Amino acid sequence: MPADFVEERRKAALEVFESQDTPSWRRSGFWTTSLRGLDLATLEPKRYEPGLPELDLGDDEHSALIVQRGASIVHTDIQDERIVVMPLEQAVEEYEELVCEHFAKRLPYDEGKFPAGTAAFWTGGVFVHVPKNVQVEKPIQIVWLIDEAGTAQWAHTLAVVGQHAECRIREFFLGGDFEGQALHSGAFELYAHPGAQVDLAHYQDWGRGEVYDLSTRRVEVRRDARVKWVPIHLGGRLTKQTLDIITAEPGSDMKHTGLYFTERDEHLDLFTSDKHEAGHTTGDTVWKGALTGESRASYEGLIHIVPKAPEVDTYLQTHSMLLSPKAKGDAIPSLIVEVDNVKASHGGTVGELDPEQIFYMMTRGVSRAEAVRVLVEGYFEEVVQRLDDPGLEELVRRRVAEKLHGAEDQVREFIGERAEAT
Amino acid sequence: MTLEIQNLHVRTEEREILHGVDLVVRRGETHALMGPNGSGKSTLANTLMGNPNYEVTEGRVLLNGEDLTEADPDERARAGLFMAFQYPATIPGVSVANFLRMAMNAGREEPIKVKEFGALLKENMDLLRIDRAFTSRYLNEGFSGGEKKRAEILQLAMLQPEFAVLDETDSGLDIDALRIVADGVNAMLGEERGFLIITHYTRILNYVKPDFVHVLIDGRIVQEGGSELADELEEKGYEWVREEVAARAG
Repeated sequence: MPADFVEERRKAALEVFESQDTPSWRRSGFWTTSLRGLDLATLEPKRYEPGLPELDLGDDEHSALIVQRGASIVHTDIQDERIVVMPLEQAVEEYEELVCEHFAKRLPYDEGKFPAGTAAFWTGGVFVHVPKNVQVEKPIQIVWLIDEAGTAQWAHTLAVVGQHAECRIREFFLGGDFEGQALHSGAFELYAHPGAQVDLAHYQDWGRGEVYDLSTRRVEVRRDARVKWVPIHLGGRLTKQTLDIITAEPGSDMKHTGLYFTERDEHLDLFTSDKHEAGHTTGDTVWKGALTGESRASYEGLIHIVPKAPEVDTYLQTHSMLLSPKAKGDAIPSLIVEVDNVKASHGGTVGELDPEQIFYMMTRGVSRAEAVRVLVEGYFEEVVQRLDDPGLEELVRRRVAEKLHGAEDQVREFIGERAEAT
Repeated sequence: MTLEIQNLHVRTEEREILHGVDLVVRRGETHALMGPNGSGKSTLANTLMGNPNYEVTEGRVLLNGEDLTEADPDERARAGLFMAFQYPATIPGVSVANFLRMAMNAGREEPIKVKEFGALLKENMDLLRIDRAFTSRYLNEGFSGGEKKRAEILQLAMLQPEFAVLDETDSGLDIDALRIVADGVNAMLGEERGFLIITHYTRILNYVKPDFVHVLIDGRIVQEGGSELADELEEKGYEWVREEVAARAG
């Protein structure tokens, strides 16, 4: 009885949610991620009538598009009948067995107040199923939209990609430039069955509204499957996310490429893990970020190789670039290896633009502002090219350029100060 | 049409490095500025381009009569000044071709046409014997010493500046690479351009004949002459110049 299973989980989760205080997280010794500014009591799930809102998704190509606005799924469009994309509420009824087998398998409801809240309160939700051996060329697009202050959006996405199936999934988190607070508390799970090939992108751009994003995303990669996962963070008042990718069976391979750009008083707190539960698995993680304004960004990336997982070959690199004197960032790679005979390397840097690079470009007639733009775009280019998705690449390049343009004055001032100081 | 350096005093945070340098390069002339390590050669080159690490405390730099002493590096470039760097910066994420196009367009009202750019690039790459694949690599990333120098000369050839300063372009090159670079420079010599070739060694001057040679020691130009001065330096070394100067002073 899967429907019962979901209801029972809601009840148990509600107890956890109500019994726990609003948490804060001490990060990296020199700041804290605190939800003191969030007034949860003023937020509520907002219902909307069906209708497709105006969206900027890079391109309009899709095999399926599903849009949740606030608490309601407002639009579903399926172009490819071989796949299933529908509200998770509906899938609980119509795809009982499949949902029961996968739902919350790797997402326990008792991992904290907000994961419990998500498990208790989610509405609408998204279910994706790409059956065995089905290859889908055009992306499956999932959109979470918050365009009104006072919204509480409790989100759950379950994606199941069958054996030797191939697809691209893009999940967007978009907001308007409204005044006031909103919450997105999200859960995402993807199960890539043996031999599956999945390109997964998460694109977050909450806009100027005060959106708090507290989410947990987990990806399980089974035997000989491959998942390329690209999380992109381009805006949100406060983001606290845990992103875990688990290479669960021999031969599984993951490539994790992340990018973030913070501005104004935004606060980004990311924890990612590359967990190897089986031997003969491979991983490759690269994250790059840039910070302007008074923003804070903390990235911690863990490689975890459990006992009985030999012959793992994995790698993690993270870079953070400060573009303003008041921004603070860190980049913390860490490693837990509980077995011999593996290859695992990691590295992290926090840096600034190199004045010598700027000088060099200026001697070729390029203005300082243009030099900064080109250098920051060049810095991100390695990551952008790994997206391997022209529509998304274009969208990311455009948004980074816009954000840099907005921060031009402070960056110029910062570079000027640094140049004088040397 | 001149590049004029008048009584130039330059300091870094620690100390004064140039103590009053005067030098005039006219269009159509090739000058060599020679000197031992630490004499201030690179300081002069960097100051001419407006490197913010160097402060001009006295004197001026004029280009065609226009005072550029306080100008930003990009203004100097657009006014017609170019420097080939001794140690050029790496520009990750920007291919050689895209960098060249950006630099060329920086000095233009209308962006260069794709076809025109392609033809010009091919012509200059043939001149410098540069492989096609080179242009899609990120500028200077993973380049060998010789490739970096060739990329500098390729920029020179594409940008066609009125005045070019070559800062130790010959150092670190084997003889074949040096010949290719010298051929590239020679192809650009002419009435429309002035060159200031900064070097420690006389080697490059066997391939590119200077009209004038200046010797910089301890931040001052202490000796000047024609190309024969380079030959004399090759034979007798910088110690000989120091002794000459001491004798003159004594």
